[in-house]
Amino acid sequence: MSSRRGFLKAASALAAGAATSATVGATACAPDQSAQANRHDAGAPRARATGFNRPALDALGDVMLPASLGNDARRAAVTAFVTWVDAYEPVAEEMHGYGYADVRYLPSDPAPAWRAQLDGLDRLASKIRKTSFAQLDATSREAIVASALRDAPGDRLPSPLYASHIALALVAHWASSPQAWNLALGAQVSPNTCRQLNDGTRKPLPFAPTAATGGKS
Amino acid sequence: MKRQAKTIETDILIVGSGITAALMAAHLAEHTTRQITVVEAGKPTTPFAERTRARERYLAYGESPWKQDHLDDQNAFGTTWGFSPSMNVGGLAMHWGGVSPRYSPEDFRLKSLYGVGDDWPFTYDELDPFYQEAEERMGVSGEQGPAALDPRGKPYPLPALAVNYNLQQLQGWATKAGIATWSTPSAKLSQAHDGRAQCQRCDTCYPVCPSGAKYSPDFTWDALVKTKKVTLLTESLVRRLEADPKTGRILRATGNRTDAAGEAFTITAKTFVLAAGFVWSPHLLLLSRDAAHPNGLANRSGLVGGYLAGHRNVNAYLRLPLELYPGINVQHSLVSKQFMRVPRSARYFRHDLRIWESSVGREPRLRGDDGAPLFGDAMLADWTQRAKGATARVRGYYDVIPDRDSKLVLDAGHANRFGDPMPTVAFKDAPESAALRPWQEEQLRELFRTMAKAGGGEIFRMQNSNNDLGQEHPTGGCRMGTDPATSVVDGWGRAHEHENLWVGGAPAQVSASCCNGTLTFVAVGLRTASAIAKESSA
Repeated sequence: MSSRRGFLKAASALAAGAATSATVGATACAPDQSAQANRHDAGAPRARATGFNRPALDALGDVMLPASLGNDARRAAVTAFVTWVDAYEPVAEEMHGYGYADVRYLPSDPAPAWRAQLDGLDRLASKIRKTSFAQLDATSREAIVASALRDAPGDRLPSPLYASHIALALVAHWASSPQAWNLALGAQVSPNTCRQLNDGTRKPLPFAPTAATGGKS
Repeated sequence: MKRQAKTIETDILIVGSGITAALMAAHLAEHTTRQITVVEAGKPTTPFAERTRARERYLAYGESPWKQDHLDDQNAFGTTWGFSPSMNVGGLAMHWGGVSPRYSPEDFRLKSLYGVGDDWPFTYDELDPFYQEAEERMGVSGEQGPAALDPRGKPYPLPALAVNYNLQQLQGWATKAGIATWSTPSAKLSQAHDGRAQCQRCDTCYPVCPSGAKYSPDFTWDALVKTKKVTLLTESLVRRLEADPKTGRILRATGNRTDAAGEAFTITAKTFVLAAGFVWSPHLLLLSRDAAHPNGLANRSGLVGGYLAGHRNVNAYLRLPLELYPGINVQHSLVSKQFMRVPRSARYFRHDLRIWESSVGREPRLRGDDGAPLFGDAMLADWTQRAKGATARVRGYYDVIPDRDSKLVLDAGHANRFGDPMPTVAFKDAPESAALRPWQEEQLRELFRTMAKAGGGEIFRMQNSNNDLGQEHPTGGCRMGTDPATSVVDGWGRAHEHENLWVGGAPAQVSASCCNGTLTFVAVGLRTASAIAKESSA
């Protein structure tokens, strides 16, 4: 769609990880003095405890996120996802623009359903392999997740907030980060981060290894 | 005992606090010594200090950075494409994109040049100084296009936002297609200016700029209030203007606070200015009907609420044999006015053209071509392949001639807490536009096909505006003109029937061109402000 609403959805899909990164300080907006007065802690909703089964979530991260990132980067991506889920404010006002006059609200908390899905992976592992999801070998984990995603709609990664399954939410959250885009593009573009204006006139430099990407470029 | 309504006295009352109101107030504050009071129905906007955080939450979740920027019971209905329920200090322009093209000279002489629509009561050249003033007050960064396509009296106040790497590639492609393009003029600072920061490509201009590089009206209000040049009353809804039945002069504005107490107020003034946009300005005039003005104020012509104007678009995504890096500066674009400045032909057609980088079609996938889920490195490898190449987005807004019955009316089926009927809006093309629409849209589609071919690319998605829901960058409802029988206000924005009532900006416009309208709304408002200032100091 050419609508601004469509644009917002697309921007959201591109950007959730960017914001999480900014929150943890990796690619925070680095405005000059006039914006330095901008407080980063203003209006933050109280974090909620989502209570994910972390070993299972890490194991899910091992399935969904590229192994080439390295273990540390994958754990960091899972932590960023948990941070993002924890800070979600259910039914907050959605951004409205042109194109519709009604005020819309974000969805209710997706965390309970995602917790249940994670628990479901664990239960299924116990049922068919007599062990926890986290203890499964990589092939078995992938088979279980593939089964869970069999009926997931569409062939595109969704916007993480609207993901129908926690596996999709996790990978979509990572894929929306500037680091993931840099990896895919092989270049230092860092979408949705605040950058020097005139650096944009040059061809982006090749993507350099960083700790956040497990040394991959 | 009925409580006496609070009464405020002022010289100039401005209704509304959006972008036109803010810059009109700034002009008036500099050019008169009159006391200026501004009333805004909504609340103060999100403070600048909170915008980095608001941006982060918008990016993370799609949360509105402008919470509580609306009144739940004060809204418009009908074909409201282009309308926003935003009602707070700064209005919709708190989340505009900052795109600031001028209309072209032809827009002001459509009837004379093309035999469609109506001429404006002034020319482009007469508006040029007010365009310049608007650009200077907002801090517009722009590139002078070819003089024949992009006439202007003086240079832009700030250098252009640079044509970035992606746009350089796209500009080469457009040139091959025979199209002259340049950096889209934007109210985003290419260098620090007036206490505001240089743009940092944060790419959230719409809906929130964290650095202050993008102009928003709160900057002007903050300065005017701090220096005590205006009094800004928030959460105050003007519900009626009252006119002297004999002279027609507006005597007072009455209304209620929109907070829980809802206290009534009255404001007396010498001069009244409606700068509340294309919905709320005519709405207030219609609400203000009385025995002497049974159809509403300023409405002897029956045209208050009429001739709502806007434009529609055709939009396409193309794959091109280039190497682009989506995300360098997604919200910046190339613009062309080549198709706005056209000679008269058998069939009327004018449009703008914008070109952007895009990530559409280059995102990661859930499934591979075989339908199986992609995991981990397989997903990344697939994404890396998909990310190569280039997607361009192109869009043309085309001009729509408004019908007299393209209008806003009071709708008794919807009322606010005070029982006032809300507006219902129904856009309607003039017959000449309605007849041309399919052909015009096909012309745009054909242009995009030609452009794709010139670059050795292909279109993979193309669609028209998704509306018969309304039109974009809407204007009208209090159109200006020299003949009181066919217009609501004169060429300076003064109501034909009420010598001390003025309408500023978008609602006074005759038509809406085929490009983003905000700069013109402001320029037209500044022209009105200059007339008010001149009269006030006489």
